[in-house]
Amino acid sequence: MVSLAWSNLMHNKLRSLLSALAVGLGITLMLVSKGLATGSIAEVAQRMQSVDAELVVLPAQDNIIFTNGAPFPDLIRRLILKQKDERGPIAESVIPVFFGQVSMGGQQQRLFGVDPAQMPLFLGHRRVLAGKAFDRARAFAREIEARGEPLPDDADAWQAYMAPGLELVIDDRLRRVGRLDPETGQRVPYRLGDRVRVMGYDFRIVGIVETGVAGRVFAPLQTMREIVLAGEKKSSMFFVKLRPDIDPVAAADRLAALLGSGARVELKSTYGTLLRQSFAQVNMYMNASSGLALVVCFLFILLTMYTVVIERTREIGILKSLGVTRFNLLALSVSEALLISMVGVGIGIGLALLAKYVLHVVRPLLTVTLSGSLLSLAVLIGIVGGVLSALYPGYRAARLDPATALSSE
Amino acid sequence: MSDPMIHVRGVCHTYRHGGVQEPVLHDLDLDIAPGEFVVIMGPSGCGKTTLLNIVGLMMPPSRAEVLRVGGRDALGLDDAARARLRRHAIGFVFQRFNLLPAISARENVALPLRIRGERVDGQVDSLLERVGLARYAGKKPGQLSVGQQQRVALARALVGRPSLVLADEPTGNLDSENAEAVLALLGEFHREWHQTILMITHNPALAAGADRVIRMQDGRFCD
Repeated sequence: MVSLAWSNLMHNKLRSLLSALAVGLGITLMLVSKGLATGSIAEVAQRMQSVDAELVVLPAQDNIIFTNGAPFPDLIRRLILKQKDERGPIAESVIPVFFGQVSMGGQQQRLFGVDPAQMPLFLGHRRVLAGKAFDRARAFAREIEARGEPLPDDADAWQAYMAPGLELVIDDRLRRVGRLDPETGQRVPYRLGDRVRVMGYDFRIVGIVETGVAGRVFAPLQTMREIVLAGEKKSSMFFVKLRPDIDPVAAADRLAALLGSGARVELKSTYGTLLRQSFAQVNMYMNASSGLALVVCFLFILLTMYTVVIERTREIGILKSLGVTRFNLLALSVSEALLISMVGVGIGIGLALLAKYVLHVVRPLLTVTLSGSLLSLAVLIGIVGGVLSALYPGYRAARLDPATALSSE
Repeated sequence: MSDPMIHVRGVCHTYRHGGVQEPVLHDLDLDIAPGEFVVIMGPSGCGKTTLLNIVGLMMPPSRAEVLRVGGRDALGLDDAARARLRRHAIGFVFQRFNLLPAISARENVALPLRIRGERVDGQVDSLLERVGLARYAGKKPGQLSVGQQQRVALARALVGRPSLVLADEPTGNLDSENAEAVLALLGEFHREWHQTILMITHNPALAAGADRVIRMQDGRFCD
């Protein structure tokens, strides 16, 4: 029956190919949208894991994707640092982060405002490939931390005052993506010394670090606070590096109790889960749209199989005259639909790989992950969809009276 | 006397088109012995094909007292059992050949064996050779002449050595030369394999080689 099904498909190659292509497009849509969502989330989560800390303190009830502003006063940091047990403070360091936005590499990037002195905690084992992980901003930050004098009150003095702090550190992936050169219209990689407009100020790229650090773009925390909060010591979130002998789960519970309902304390390792939760609604929408695309594709197969049954009514009569049972005819219909689906899945996976490559070229900062489980899901969808879409046409074919089928034109 | 291959009593059939009823067979009785070559003759629309379809288990009669084919009571069989009986005991030759266009002549001939789940050895090629089509075994029906297609159809009907061959105007679409060739082949296999053959035609010239000729008119046997 499978060889007969294959012969039937090959007998009308164009229709079979179009059907397989329709399935393939649905599979591609599903793979790329799922691969993009999971890939991007996994990539961000993985980068967050590079921070040398065990806990994250986030605003309560906040979606961690869209966490902006700075709800946490510095008091939180000091409170955490004061937590002790019989051996001393439970936290070795509390690392404030101030989130902002910057347009670089052709898209919006999350700007990580970090204390230059704490940059090594973000770098971990990753190297500085060029320049420095902040230069004059280190002294600027120290000066601001120790500041007691009033701020300059005229524009020129203000610009001069801020200049040392207007530094950026970017990762190598963003460097390679680069900026659009207005003269040539081509993308050129970022270089040390390039200026980038952030929040109305010209920041200078002073360092390029290995890809994999928590953020793609870092700026001095103190600079961002000066610009956005007039120097107020607030933060968007904290990483907490615990003493090595401290149990992170117990510490998280203790800090959560300490900070009350305004904050939530999570294990850094759960950041990926939190990201997925934050993306839940977007994911639901993407799943719904790719699911809808798949349904349309399988309706296309159903229509194709139904047309095949109508067109081949006489052939069904011939097969029945030869003693083919209803079950055999159903199996033939299912076999044909399965073959179309499997070829469609193959086309879909091929197109998804192509889309992944194209996205990598056009939007290098996007990550599409086509995992084994996702590809297996595509194959499963192909099998289930193929069977389901063939059942009704197969049932119709099976029910045909042989003599009536043979007399059809 | 051995059991008849076909034993029919009181077969009636009425077609229903919308609300209109059109009776085509009226209380027919028929016995055909194993190995007999019977021709049913009659004008178009007299009910020959309907009778053949009923005897070939391709459609149930509207009413029948007895319908036995190959010694089995066909009235009590469900759809799957009727399909099995067709598969193992009956071979069809149609006026319009009814070959599957997507597969080669060889595969068309092999199809009954594959449906039975039997091995396809050399018998398909040797049968194609006997009907003079060995050279065309790999061709699809669309690449063959009408005479060649009917010879492929004949080979397909005979390949499983069914005990009953039903031929519905097998030469109706052929020129005289091809018609004679097909009839000669049918007669040759009948003499050699002693299958029961029930052939319908409206051409008296084709009935010459039959053991018995039954005439039909308006859904009834005339003799």
